[in-house]
Parts: sequence; C-alpha cells; structure tokens
Amino acid sequence: MAEIAQDSGGGKKKGGKVRSKKMSTRIDFTPMVDLGFLLITFFMLTTTLAKPNILALVMPEKDIKKEDVEPVKESKVLTLLLGANDKVYWYEGITDAKLDSTDYSAEGLRDVILKKMDKVKDQFGQETYKRKNKEGVEEEHTDGSYINVIIKPMKTARYKNLVDALDEMAICKVRYYVILDVSPLEEEFVKNPAGGLKFNADAQVEAATK
Amino acid sequence: MPKHKPKRGTPLIDMTAMTDVAFLLLTFFMLTAKMKPTETVVIDTPSSISETKLPDAGTLTVSVDPEGKIFLDMAGQHTRMSLINDINSRFQLGMNDQEKLIFSNLGMFGVPRARLKQLINTPPAERGHFPMDGIPVDTSDINKSELADWIHNARIAQFRMKQEGKVTDEYVIVVKADKNTPYPAVQRVINTLTDINVNKFNLITSMEGGKE
Repeated sequence: MAEIAQDSGGGKKKGGKVRSKKMSTRIDFTPMVDLGFLLITFFMLTTTLAKPNILALVMPEKDIKKEDVEPVKESKVLTLLLGANDKVYWYEGITDAKLDSTDYSAEGLRDVILKKMDKVKDQFGQETYKRKNKEGVEEEHTDGSYINVIIKPMKTARYKNLVDALDEMAICKVRYYVILDVSPLEEEFVKNPAGGLKFNADAQVEAATK
Repeated sequence: MPKHKPKRGTPLIDMTAMTDVAFLLLTFFMLTAKMKPTETVVIDTPSSISETKLPDAGTLTVSVDPEGKIFLDMAGQHTRMSLINDINSRFQLGMNDQEKLIFSNLGMFGVPRARLKQLINTPPAERGHFPMDGIPVDTSDINKSELADWIHNARIAQFRMKQEGKVTDEYVIVVKADKNTPYPAVQRVINTLTDINVNKFNLITSMEGGKE
C-alpha cells in the first residue's frame, strides 16, 4: 500500500537478537502522482489551445443579374488596393479620385476607414439599422455607418494582407464590404497616380453581370 | 492493563486511487491529443481578432502553402470512401478496395489525380518525403480543374452520407493559407469555390498575439 513514508523502516531493538534488517516494501507514489498531474495539465492545455480560429467570409455570387444590381452613392465608397510590401493604396469614390497610401497599423488603415465613416456621417447623418437580437426582437443600432468598402488585393499582395484588411472591417464595424479583382485601370492608377482614374462604372456593371 | 496510547506519527494516506485517476486522465488526454493528424506541410496562418472556433463538425480544408501549392483534407471515413469510389470510377484510376481504404484514412494530400495511386502505395513512413506538387487548379475552365472536382464530389458524398444518417452535418469549407502565400494563389482557390457555388466559407486564422 502506498503511503507518505517517513519512518526509517524499523529501528533496532535494545538487547534483541541481531536480525537481518527487513527492507520496507512500501513505495512512495508521490513523485509519480506529481508527474502524472504535470502531464495531464500539459495535455489539457495543449489540446484546447490547438483549436484554430476561423474568419467567416461570404463572397458575392458569380452570376448576378443586371436588375439585381443596386447602385451605391459614390461618396460612400472607399476602395482599398492591397499592394506589395504591406502597403495599402486607397481612394474615395471614382470621380477625381486621389490615390493615397498607408499601412496596416492601427494608425494607418484604421484611421482611413474611421475618417471616411465620420465624413459619411457628417454628410448623410447618423444612419441606424435594425437587427434582431438573440431573443428575436428587433433592436436599433447606431454603431458603424453605411460606408461601402471595396477590397481589391493586387497580385503582389500576400494572404496576410487580405486577412488584416478583413480584420479592420470587423474592428471598424464596416457592414458592407466586398472582395473584388483589381481592374487594369486601377493597376495603371497605382503606377501613375497623377494620371487619374478613368473608371467607367457602367462598363464595370456590364462586365460583371454579363 | 496497559494504558492505550494513541499512535503517533504520520497518518497513512492511500494514494492508489488518486494515482489511478491521474493516469486514467493522462491516458485519455494523450490519446485524444494524438488524434490530431500529422501535417504534410507547415502552414503558418495569419492572426486575426476573430474568436470563432473551428467547428467540430466535418470540415473540408483547402490548404495553400507559401509557394501556392494546394492541399486537400476532408473529415469522415465514410465520406472519403464514397468520394474515392466516385472519383475512381469516373476517372479510371484503377484502384482496388485496399487502396481505397488507405485513401479513406490518408489525411491531407496534395498530388495530381494521376499520381494519387502512387502516393497511396507509398509506405506510410515514407509518405512524408513523397513529393507533393499540389492539386492542379484551372480557373479558366472549371471542367478541367481537379480541385473543383474534388470539392464538388466531396460535398456530394457528404450529402449522401447525411441522407444515409452516417454524418450529421454537411461540410464546412475552410481555407487555410500561409500568411506569406501570394494572393493570386488564394484567389485561385476562392474563384474555384465561387465557381462551384460555394459562396460561404471560412478562413483559418490564429489567435492575435503580439506584434510581428
């Protein structure tokens, strides 16, 4: 039987016959239990931490009908072009668009999005929207504002840039954003920002809807 | 009569039961921890603020390594068996039952269909060194894209298994790419998915922790 063994295993008796000392058969299990629990803790922690997180993404359908296309206000649109070396190029609207660049830090891209939100809020007022809560009751929300962000990762971007951009959407509570392909016009725009963006929105709709 | 003296010294504690429990738990955790499949490629996912955990239900994982090679992995032995039956008869891969069984337990794979049989016949210990050159993908012609075939047929197989009651859920499609994967490689996967009408999927990210 296991026990916390502390006795010295039977002392000598006075005046008795000298007998061969019997070894105690009791084994101290404490270190073994210690080790067992240490390993349990290790396995418990590693198994729960191993589970990765997921970021849900919904892409627009491939075949969109022309009558389903709903125009958005140009002044609410912010386009992000994800470029090489962790750089983001961005412009607002399409008419007389000015290209600017920033990075993925909290002072960079986030500022751009939040400033755009403020601008839209000043121009159109605080928009509210209704969303059902967990009990199914509709609640009015005022957080975020109706800006439309178009994320266009360029060929030189890496995957991390896309995830970072999607993260900013979640942080800034942007409700409408979409990932689209970069058009050749925009590639030209990045190379030569002074040339301006000669974007034809109607032609884009035509191309996307077939 | 001698006076009854209370025994001094340390009380005996029977540790056997505690040891039993400890080792039972240890065995349990060790076995469950080992269930995690060995990774064919090392993929370092980017971090995000998302706190949604990967669901336990069947997942179909499309992995993209930093070089843009595409690997596939799907859960469920029954589904995999049904999937390989379909693929085998449709593309005349000439696999026997034994090879199909190996496929159903294979884990992640990333070889063109033509070389799948070769991979299966490699002994498990040497499979780690088998040159995996990724599953071919063709975004211009969906009918030629092996990736689209795999995913489409896997979803059909899973649906069939659901009807037979062998699984409870349809596949959750997850894309797992390395943070240094060039975007065009990921774009090919996303385009393939939307081509076969998978518009909702998940990106695997790791927990946000410290700046790079």
